[in-house]
Amino acid sequence: MYRYDEFDAAFVSERVAQFSDQVRRRISGELTEDQFRPLRLMNGLYLQLHAYMLRVAVPYGTLSSRQMRMLAHIARKYDRGYGHFTTRQNIQFNWPKLRDVPEILADLASVEMHAIQTSGNCIRNVTTDQFAGAAADEIIDPRPIAEIIRQWSSLHPEFTFLPRKFKIAITGSPNDRAAVKFHDIGLMAQTNGAGQVGWAVYVGGGLGRTPMIGKQINGFVPHEHLLAYLESILRVYNRYGRRDNKYKARIKILVHEEGLETIKAQVEEEFSHVRGGILTLPQTELDRIDAYFSPPAFIDSGVVSIDVEREKILDPAFGRFLVNNTFSHARQGYTSVTVSLKPIGGAPGDATAEQMDAVADIAERFSFDELRVSHEQNLVLPHVALSELRAVYQALAEAGLAEANAGEITDTITCPGLDFCALANARSIPIAQDISRRFADPERQREIGKLKIKISGCINACGHHHVGHIGILGVEKKGTELYQITVGGDGTEDAAVGKILGPGFVADEVPDAIERLVDAYIAQRESAEEPFIAAYRRLGDAPFKEALYGNG
Amino acid sequence: MAMADPVPSQGPDKLRALGIVALNGMFDEMDAEGVLRQAAEDILPADLALVSSFGADSAVLLHIVSRVDPSLPVYFLETGKHFAETLEYVEQLKAELGLTNVIAVVPDPADLARFDPTGELWETDPDSCCHIRKTEPLEKVLSGYGGWVTGRKRFQTAERGVLPHFELTSDNRIKVNPLAYYTHDDIEAYKHRYGLPDHPLYHQGYKSIGCAPCTSAVAEGEDPRAGRWRGLDKRECGIHFDFNGQIAPTRKQAGKTKEMRLFKNGGFMADPWTDWVEALDPAEASYTHVPLDVFVAHREAFIASPHPLGLRVDPGHRVEDVEADMARFSSVAISFPAFGDGRGFSSARLVRERFGFQGEVRAVGDILADQVPFLRRCGIDAFVVANPATRQALENDAFAEVSLYYQPVGTRAEVPVGTRPFLRRALADA
Ligand code: HEM
Ligand code: SF4
Ligand code: SF4
Repeated sequence: MYRYDEFDAAFVSERVAQFSDQVRRRISGELTEDQFRPLRLMNGLYLQLHAYMLRVAVPYGTLSSRQMRMLAHIARKYDRGYGHFTTRQNIQFNWPKLRDVPEILADLASVEMHAIQTSGNCIRNVTTDQFAGAAADEIIDPRPIAEIIRQWSSLHPEFTFLPRKFKIAITGSPNDRAAVKFHDIGLMAQTNGAGQVGWAVYVGGGLGRTPMIGKQINGFVPHEHLLAYLESILRVYNRYGRRDNKYKARIKILVHEEGLETIKAQVEEEFSHVRGGILTLPQTELDRIDAYFSPPAFIDSGVVSIDVEREKILDPAFGRFLVNNTFSHARQGYTSVTVSLKPIGGAPGDATAEQMDAVADIAERFSFDELRVSHEQNLVLPHVALSELRAVYQALAEAGLAEANAGEITDTITCPGLDFCALANARSIPIAQDISRRFADPERQREIGKLKIKISGCINACGHHHVGHIGILGVEKKGTELYQITVGGDGTEDAAVGKILGPGFVADEVPDAIERLVDAYIAQRESAEEPFIAAYRRLGDAPFKEALYGNG
Repeated sequence: MAMADPVPSQGPDKLRALGIVALNGMFDEMDAEGVLRQAAEDILPADLALVSSFGADSAVLLHIVSRVDPSLPVYFLETGKHFAETLEYVEQLKAELGLTNVIAVVPDPADLARFDPTGELWETDPDSCCHIRKTEPLEKVLSGYGGWVTGRKRFQTAERGVLPHFELTSDNRIKVNPLAYYTHDDIEAYKHRYGLPDHPLYHQGYKSIGCAPCTSAVAEGEDPRAGRWRGLDKRECGIHFDFNGQIAPTRKQAGKTKEMRLFKNGGFMADPWTDWVEALDPAEASYTHVPLDVFVAHREAFIASPHPLGLRVDPGHRVEDVEADMARFSSVAISFPAFGDGRGFSSARLVRERFGFQGEVRAVGDILADQVPFLRRCGIDAFVVANPATRQALENDAFAEVSLYYQPVGTRAEVPVGTRPFLRRALADA
């Protein structure tokens, strides 16, 4: 795992000192809220419905136990005893006091964390696959490159006042679990004809008001030129991205309005100047960063497989956990375990300080001190030996964290919505909770299989509703909260944006509507092996539209 | 960077312009003495004069004159404001080098009586003071010659980086710069070789010597000319500054910009530049930042104009459209109408890093204190800001700055620790 060297440490502590000064100036009235806004945003501090909200970056989703414990400490000391993990591999604290923020940032800095660039019109925290560095299907561990991008983008002097925020996601696996095609820039590992690994670059993806699937702007950029290429894209965007309308300011609109070919030509022109220049990444530096991410000291316990069928009979709950919450590891005898933050009826993504401490302990004992935060608002223990899986399950169960629903219908992604968010049109957490209770029965969930429901409280789409197999979007119509339902979205390499099939529903009707969609699917699927999204692709809208609105 | 158009559309005829190009081609390699001999004997016989300040570096050129032709007219601008040491030095050099034709040029007493009766004009309006004490008298003298010799050198200031041996002025005369290619070390070596006397003030820290009130000592490592007009943005007078080499008139509105709005070199100072006003005639524009689109629309006229010009880059302007003309500008103003609009950051880097522009690049407009360090890294070296908090921060140099940075930018020689790890490492290992 990446460790700060003296330079990184000094960098972050200077930044904390800088922001402390800005906070002091705000409290003393020397800075107006207008002037303070861009500064606090760049330090991850939002003004929300009830209070300031502090967003802390978990770069490429990787955390050590020590860091997780510090998050627990902050939740306890400065907040109301919990934190909220988001779809951007961040954690948000909803109740800090402005005057405490410098202290919180100093605490974070002591464990090599920060809130730099988690908001504002700059390059945001780089996100990646939660199984990076562990997954069996991976071409390359994307985290070293993600770390290099993090460094390059931190307080970039040229790109701190972009037209709009800018998000980069990166995946090292052909099975995209980081939704790279829905980011401003998406990077997907690629092997070229000569067997070298590099990056396919997608640009102009995004969700929000105008969802767009990223388009490939370059099929292969080698590591050494990647920063120069990214700088070229950012420069074109900084210069030509729209600034007249905040809703049209993301790069996706630029790409859409100008056309991929135009943007590509501009980027290539820019790249022809910066390529081979000061941003060229030497192999030695890549090796140096790589070394931080070298695999832990795996041990051969002799256990190389688990008889899941047998476990299912012996202990159905554990059996279900094995089926849903483990993921194939590159190393024989190991697996990655998903720790669901979606207990039935709970607020998705919330973790109490006690739970954070418990997970930290478990990671320390069973996962080489490593943890991941997934964009699906769960945690991951990336390297668990099969021989210790039972013990891990036991420990998670004791902490109330053994919900075995990863990937199932109750594993929703849900934004904070009207309960916390100043921008919301509608509540989203209560909707998620209703759905979760409705489908609580494990047998029912198993029958339904893999199905991703994603819920946003407004068109900003923090809950990724566009790419939910079923998406739910809160809108406001004549003073009442309505929920629009979309079907067929997909955030993976088979990217698709969900379709609206008809008018919205009031909150009470939503669980029924979802149930009707699910029933329609089960009735018409070819077999239990055909998941919802595949059935939708085969069947088209009609049966689902009928399920929602009848055939009137 | 080449100037786009060595042949201005008005002014010198083409033949002479081409002649200058040819001259520079022929004598580029020639040493200083050869250049002067060529000028004095072949190109402008009996039609060439020299103007000397008898300052810190003047001895070298005067020594070369004494070897080529001790009777060459040498004019000395007796502004009435010189150090006594300078006047002594004039006599000393005259005697030691055997110069027979040193002529003092004095200001017009009527002008002095009218504009500078108390002798304190330099304090309030150095531009006008220079005008009546230097430019006017010199113009009178030089108008009688087909050309003159200067002691200017490429290394002296950034603006002079491209100085050739021969220059054509817009009124068809020739400026000869025998020392154009001399470095500071060449000068020192030359003085040493011939045992030339130093200006008496040289060893007191005065590395560039003009009139007494306007000259101060420079610190070790500072630009030798930093001591001239210290605290003001005045660096060059028209005679040197001017694109076409013409002696430029002093700015008419000199008095208007006395408000200390420009922050540069660590302090606020009067801004010698004025803002562009709509529909200004290109031929009239002088010490003005011309908006990029206006420049492009009237490019010919601006190129032909003899006046010092700056470039104003607004958000949305494509700086690459004037890349070839950058040498025409003495200053670039990047405007920031709203602090949230970061386009100027890219423009600044392109101007500095890609086009290699060496002159002043100023940021103008709505700038937050916290943006100043970023702007500096993008190549900005001067600020014109209204925001009181930003002005205060500049004044006190009080930036809660992150002095470390991960990503290199192209031009600034950033402190070793302030770069990406792999660059740091390379240095640390070395
Ligand atoms: C109206 C303005 C000015 C006039 C008329 C003027 C005129 C002259 C003249 C006649 C010389 C003698 C040339 C020689 O020694 O070969 C000279 C030299 C020089 N001038 Fe200027 N000058 C002006 C402004 C400036 C400014 C603003 C600077 C610098 C900030 C400057 C720096 C120098 C230097 C460095 C030298 C030559 C080296 C030396 O003697 O130390 N001059 N100037
Ligand atoms: S989607 Fe809307 S309501 Fe939900 S968190 Fe984002 S901005 Fe707030
Ligand atoms: S240098 Fe100073 S004193 Fe001399 S003429 Fe210029 S302003 Fe006046």
